[in-house]
Amino acid sequence: MTTAPWICRTCLSRFVRPLARSNARFQSTRSSKETIPAGLLARARNIAIEHKQLTEKLANGFDARAAKKIGEYSPIVEALKAWEKANESVGELTSLIHDPETDAELRELAAEDLSATRATLADASQSLTTSLVPVHPFAHLPCLIEIRPGAGGSEAAIFAGDLLRMYQAFCNRKGLRTMLLKYENINGGQEAGIPLSEAILEVGTENAYGMFRCEAGVHRVQRVPVTESKGRTHTSAASVLVLPSIEENTLGEEDVDDPESDYYIDPKEVKTEVMRARGAGGQHVNTTESAVRLTHIPTNIVVSIQDSRSQPKNKEKAWRLLRSRVAQLRREKREEELAAMKRSVVGVAKMGRGDKVRTYNWGQQRVTDHRSGTTVHDLNDVMDGGQTLEKVMESVRNWLMERDVEALLAEESSSKT
Amino acid sequence: MPRLPTSLIRAARLIDPLLPLLLRPCRDLRSAQNELRWLCEHIQNHAGARNITERTALLKKLVQERSTGKPLQYILGTEFFGDFEIECRPGVLIPRQETAASITQLVHLLRKSKSLPPELRILDLCTGTGCIPLLFQDELSKHQDIRLELLGVDISKKAIQLARSNLAKLRSQGKPTAGNKISFMRADVLDDAREGYDHEIPKLMSALESQHKSSTWDILISNPPYVSPSEYWKTTTRSVRCFEPQLALVPPPSHGLKDLDQGDRFYPRLLHIARDVAAKIVLFEVADLDQALRVTGMARQAGIFSGIEIWRDDPGGSAELESTYASGDFPIVGSGNGRSVLCWRGEGAVWLGKHV
Repeated sequence: MTTAPWICRTCLSRFVRPLARSNARFQSTRSSKETIPAGLLARARNIAIEHKQLTEKLANGFDARAAKKIGEYSPIVEALKAWEKANESVGELTSLIHDPETDAELRELAAEDLSATRATLADASQSLTTSLVPVHPFAHLPCLIEIRPGAGGSEAAIFAGDLLRMYQAFCNRKGLRTMLLKYENINGGQEAGIPLSEAILEVGTENAYGMFRCEAGVHRVQRVPVTESKGRTHTSAASVLVLPSIEENTLGEEDVDDPESDYYIDPKEVKTEVMRARGAGGQHVNTTESAVRLTHIPTNIVVSIQDSRSQPKNKEKAWRLLRSRVAQLRREKREEELAAMKRSVVGVAKMGRGDKVRTYNWGQQRVTDHRSGTTVHDLNDVMDGGQTLEKVMESVRNWLMERDVEALLAEESSSKT
Repeated sequence: MPRLPTSLIRAARLIDPLLPLLLRPCRDLRSAQNELRWLCEHIQNHAGARNITERTALLKKLVQERSTGKPLQYILGTEFFGDFEIECRPGVLIPRQETAASITQLVHLLRKSKSLPPELRILDLCTGTGCIPLLFQDELSKHQDIRLELLGVDISKKAIQLARSNLAKLRSQGKPTAGNKISFMRADVLDDAREGYDHEIPKLMSALESQHKSSTWDILISNPPYVSPSEYWKTTTRSVRCFEPQLALVPPPSHGLKDLDQGDRFYPRLLHIARDVAAKIVLFEVADLDQALRVTGMARQAGIFSGIEIWRDDPGGSAELESTYASGDFPIVGSGNGRSVLCWRGEGAVWLGKHV
């Protein structure tokens, strides 16, 4: 009688479960660089399909809107293509390695290749994620950096001046065009060296808003102020406000054919109504009706003109009026958006030391950004606007992007349900 | 015609004491106000009244004239045809806005074409004020470097005189007519004998020959009389019946022709002419969709055209999107009433940008 030896259930289940997996962490907080969230990938694929449709549409006739959209989508489509290619080759290599029929030499080569391909895949997924995250609508614009001392009295004002010098040095080093729009010290004068009460620095280079957006917030300083006689460390704050600098649209009424202009209206979005004789028309009636009514469908603006006896003249006048009304509406909307942004960046209550985004600690020669959690120790280089400051800013930008990705995913999942 | 409500008349009198008179022909307050404004402007700009009393008296006189139904265009002496201010006189049909819309659309199509010949010859039959050749040449040579030869033909002496005076006015305003030849000629388009026929008026073909005009024309345009006698009494407005020439509206009667056929009388003859002058593009104005379908039938029977289209009042604008196919599979373009019939053949298809 042959009987299999009795094996306990735990041991049995251990046989079934592969050994390697028992060490793997199933849930990890660390973001893996190779994988892309499924939602994002689906979104990328949708965009690729839409891009294809738009390209076909554009082949049949020019449409300014479609062309603009294609321009926005094409980096995503490119990145998706690169990612899919890398993903495929990783898959192939892996199957080659795991295939028992592959000879040893080939397997070795494949293993070598695999690590390189993995790196490409990581790059590709990184760039895909970056391209998918919606770029801030104002990121391409120049920006204004407004610095004001917060809590902490004259020490805060001194620190505000330090911050201004830091940003100026940074821009100098990066070769960005800057202009000091306003500089006011606490005495109300303009001389430098006296603690600052308000400064507005314009960075005139394009994309500056995207670069400095991460700097907005309360910057906290911890040091022994020069005004302190007893050697105590103080904590003070200065607020930095970063706003996109939207110049008054230079495109005027004469640029009506430029889609960027406020005055541009797509003729397809306008319903033209001409008052006509009821009934037969033509030779049967001799009407003097020449009124023209235009309706801009997206905004529901209606313009009606009946001044002239000539219908074409009325039409021309109506178009001019409609253009200026739509332009006015667009301008107002933009100003409103800007005002809302100003309010959201720094509320009046958020000027204290508690809501800081970054701390500059002289005692420990340390700069910590509280959003990305980055800490650097080369305080002097930061204050001179050097490489270290760039490193900190970079980390915050990445942090902002991750938040955006999360928001995007959340939005997508909520729209699905 | 429904009676004007007393409340409307009272409201009009509150705005201006002359408005109730204008309500009679206009029927609604808004257009009456517009007309009063135009009359005031006319007096201020043109009429020779020196002081305010004379002006007021003149205005009153004009308003009274208008209240009898006399077309405003005859009172002011002009009508806008497209961008143009065309002179109008009693005895000649007032240009219609629908005609201008069709002509503008035709020119718009030609303008988009890149294969137009360096010289185009356009024949306009039943030209009236001469508005069609004048608008056509202005619209086309504004945008394209092209030499045009235009000839307007009408049976009425008054019409030819007016057309020539319109042309002279255009030249004196310094509008660029350079390189373009525009002329007007008196001739009879119909060729059969009829009652009260004036033998002094030459037939079209012989007139072309005797006046050394070309016998081939690239584009034939016509806004002929197209109202049948019964329609004339039923559907035309009183102001048209009483003040505009019947000659320009109703084709002359002929033996054995029924009412409807009399209304259509010009079209077979025009198609015949189109063949004789080897026209590549033909544009006829018609009364409504029914007549348009009858004319397309005739054009198809003529068998010389490679494409036929029906245009509505406003062939541009939202046109191309909602072209529908009616019975007889002719595309109908635009919005409004059926207004004109467009036929083309040979090179005409390329000029119009139609796919052969």
